[in-house]
Amino acid sequence: MLKMVVCIKQVPMVSELPWDPATGTLQRDLAEGMINPACRSALEAALRIRETEGGEITAITMGPPMAEEVLREAIALGADRGVLLTDRKMAGSDTSVTSCALARAIERTCAGFDLVLCGFSTSDSETAQVGPQLAEELTIPGVAYVNSIEVAGRTVRMQRISDDFLETLEMDLPGLITVTADADSQRHVPLGGLQRAFAEADIATLDAEALGLDPERIGVKGSATRILNVYSPTAAKKNLVLTGAPKRIVEQLFARFDDKIGGAIGKDLKMDRKP
Amino acid sequence: MDFNPCMKHKVVRKAVRMFAEAELGPIAHDIDRDARFPWEVVEKMRPLQFFGLQAPRAYGGAEMDSISYAIAIEEVSRVSAAMGLCLTVHNSVGVYPIVRFGTEEQKRRFLPAMTRGERIGAFCLTEANAGSDAGGVETTAVRDGSDFVLNGTKIFVTNGGCCGAALIFAITDPQNPQRSAGVFVVEKDTPGFTVGEIEDLCGMRANPVSSLFLEECRVPETNLLGRPGDGIRIGLTALDTGRIGVAAQALGIAQAAFEDTVRYSKERQQFRKPISSFQTIQNYLADMTTEIDASRLLLYRACAMKDSGRPFGAEAAMAKLYCSATATRVTNLAVQVHGGYGYSKEYDVERYFRDAKVTEIYEGTSEIQRMVIARAVLAQRT
Repeated sequence: MLKMVVCIKQVPMVSELPWDPATGTLQRDLAEGMINPACRSALEAALRIRETEGGEITAITMGPPMAEEVLREAIALGADRGVLLTDRKMAGSDTSVTSCALARAIERTCAGFDLVLCGFSTSDSETAQVGPQLAEELTIPGVAYVNSIEVAGRTVRMQRISDDFLETLEMDLPGLITVTADADSQRHVPLGGLQRAFAEADIATLDAEALGLDPERIGVKGSATRILNVYSPTAAKKNLVLTGAPKRIVEQLFARFDDKIGGAIGKDLKMDRKP
Repeated sequence: MDFNPCMKHKVVRKAVRMFAEAELGPIAHDIDRDARFPWEVVEKMRPLQFFGLQAPRAYGGAEMDSISYAIAIEEVSRVSAAMGLCLTVHNSVGVYPIVRFGTEEQKRRFLPAMTRGERIGAFCLTEANAGSDAGGVETTAVRDGSDFVLNGTKIFVTNGGCCGAALIFAITDPQNPQRSAGVFVVEKDTPGFTVGEIEDLCGMRANPVSSLFLEECRVPETNLLGRPGDGIRIGLTALDTGRIGVAAQALGIAQAAFEDTVRYSKERQQFRKPISSFQTIQNYLADMTTEIDASRLLLYRACAMKDSGRPFGAEAAMAKLYCSATATRVTNLAVQVHGGYGYSKEYDVERYFRDAKVTEIYEGTSEIQRMVIARAVLAQRT
């Protein structure tokens, strides 16, 4: 029986969220949470593997107590059980500390796991680091940015788009895969499943102590990463009006933008221009 | 007293909203324009148990609590009130009376196909001479051996054109119509059961509201819910639950109109300012959100009372009365704030405006709700 672990993260539902300028972190309490879209793809991939190969799925998340919500949702979607890592002392952990905590939790609650699935990146911090670091922490092979998975016995065959190429890779289990957000069209939450996920779900809650983590090496204190600055990028648009007869307009257009137009059509227009 | 939604209710709202926006959002305008019932969405709703929202799990239902139910109806109606209408009628007055009053045999026979959404339910009380006056029903069900033979015409049947099982109100003793009303489950394929023309209505156009004809329509006596004479009691109980659904639907329409209005008022510029900067518009927005909030609280209280097993008829009537009035007022203001565009079919508020009105009419008119509320008040107070 295939033992799968899906790591999911609760992210804010709206993209424009207030953030705390003092710490450079998002004010998560002001937002509605949702399962990170790529994590939802990872769960979808696990559900499809279970449909053909059988097995069990544990959804695991690290976050504030309200992150329990995404575990319930994952259970409604079909996960068998949930594990919540929550501890105020772990707040502000960087990706390295987070990966370490997740690894210890997986070892404790899902011993003998075969496959760990993660979203390739999260919509709120976009580092794409937790998956690969988690593979290191668990000392298992990992493949990132995967968009299709096939399991055959103890081997997984995966495809991912790498630049303009489609790569096919194989990995022996146990292993870890990070899944892209568009990997699978995702199912909707069944309403009966949702009621059951709140009435009778199996969710274990673990804190730093239960995970055996050194208090000095977790949270902001234990994190090597410092966020120096967070800001909203601003994109300025400038309108340019070209005037004159059509021929003159076209000439101006090409004079100004021949590199961009050429880039789009894959041709060096400067070479073509009449002397 | 905690006024914050619990985690479950938040997740139910989010799940239904995501479904409705993804599957109904892109077609809501077109199905209204074309008066088309979206079977393709029904297909997607079936496995998610939208057709067994509160039915017990044993019969294929989702076994939702009433607040979750109201949230689900509200969120579907926020995107397509006509589809919200289909669901509330099916669940509240189609499935629920069978769950509540059916025998074990009837539940096993009728419910699974209904909760799977294979047979959409309809509730048929209204006739040419009966509506608010449930005692005026003229459709007859005459006993013939172990069968009943039904004859009559039902009008304004919500889900009429898409129903697979209709709950028919009929009198079993024409000499004693008041005390002999019964509710019969009639499946669509029963000989003598025909669907009339689809009504050309002001709003809720994607729901195939129609007449239903019963001509020598023979059903076994095991299709009668309860006993002859239980009809009025079953009907009134179903309508109490139905009112929660219609209140939720009205609330969803109001919410949609409000959201569109806030967005539009911030975008629309007049006198070189967004119109939301004008106090008149701000007053409208304040009134809209206040009424919506009050409506929601009244509705959830009725739901909570229902789930706690207490009588909730008067509270459901208050919620239905107030939510439907809110829907018509809020959609009216929404059109006003949108100005000429609000009167155009290009904008959704025009549809909300048309859809809202009927929530003051069906499942008991506002006048009937006031009667129900006043009766409760007069019975309680000395």
